[in-house]
Amino acid sequence: MAVDIAQRTSVAKNETFEPQWYHIDGEGQIVGRFASALAMVLMGKHKATYTAHVNTGDFVVVTNVDKVRFTGAEMAHDSHPNFTTKMANKTYEHYTGYPSGRRITTGSAMLEKHPEKILQEAVRRMLPKNKLAKSMLMRLKLHVGSEHPHQSQNPQPLPEHLLTRCK
Amino acid sequence: MKVRSGKARLRSKRRLLREAKGNFGGRKNLNRTIRETILRSRAYAYRDRRVRKREMRRLWIIRLNAACREHGLRYSEFINGLTKSGLTLNRKSLSELAFHEPAVFAEVLNVVKASL
Repeated sequence: MAVDIAQRTSVAKNETFEPQWYHIDGEGQIVGRFASALAMVLMGKHKATYTAHVNTGDFVVVTNVDKVRFTGAEMAHDSHPNFTTKMANKTYEHYTGYPSGRRITTGSAMLEKHPEKILQEAVRRMLPKNKLAKSMLMRLKLHVGSEHPHQSQNPQPLPEHLLTRCK
Repeated sequence: MKVRSGKARLRSKRRLLREAKGNFGGRKNLNRTIRETILRSRAYAYRDRRVRKREMRRLWIIRLNAACREHGLRYSEFINGLTKSGLTLNRKSLSELAFHEPAVFAEVLNVVKASL
């Protein structure tokens, strides 16, 4: 078989790059491990076409994001099946920009108000801190419940070899 | 006769101005700032021509790791098998194979797996 190998290392191009769509159920996944697997796919580091200055990540649809869990001792919770102490003690901070504008949200409050933000924040912090991070994060589609509106993109189940770190 | 450096000086200044073209603000207008910026940029360029070689190797390894994992092999296992198999392809050409010809790369992986 004749293979043409150029002298230069190839780079992916925005114009020719075609992202895939994947789907995965988030139920019972441990947040940090799950997020690192998702971050790899969003960064495109699971493909031989990875290029640092081009967003070569794939789309990932995650359903049941409200049912992801943390490790730790289990606690009773009326809306979450695997609520743990870690989730209760966890805090999310952000700064509004005004003096003394520090806002703290607890894990359980976040679960009630924005359950999808728990996973989103975990993934966002694992992505590179650069201008591509935003567009990478936009390819992560998080949905509460088992329904999602991306059926027309025909998302495929996320391959097993990309989930080894979730075990 | 009195020796004056007018023309040579002007030429060297023009050379610097040309090199500083496209810089921001004083870095393209002010004589002293231009000189500092250019000296620094040349030093970075010299260093980074060497750093580039390391960065490229890192990129090839990232790509190879991704391509191997698709077939259930880690990068370290792959390199171990590659050495044992006696194949002399380097990381650059292997990653180029994985980039353009995944089918051929899979063949290489078969050879590597067989020698593990």
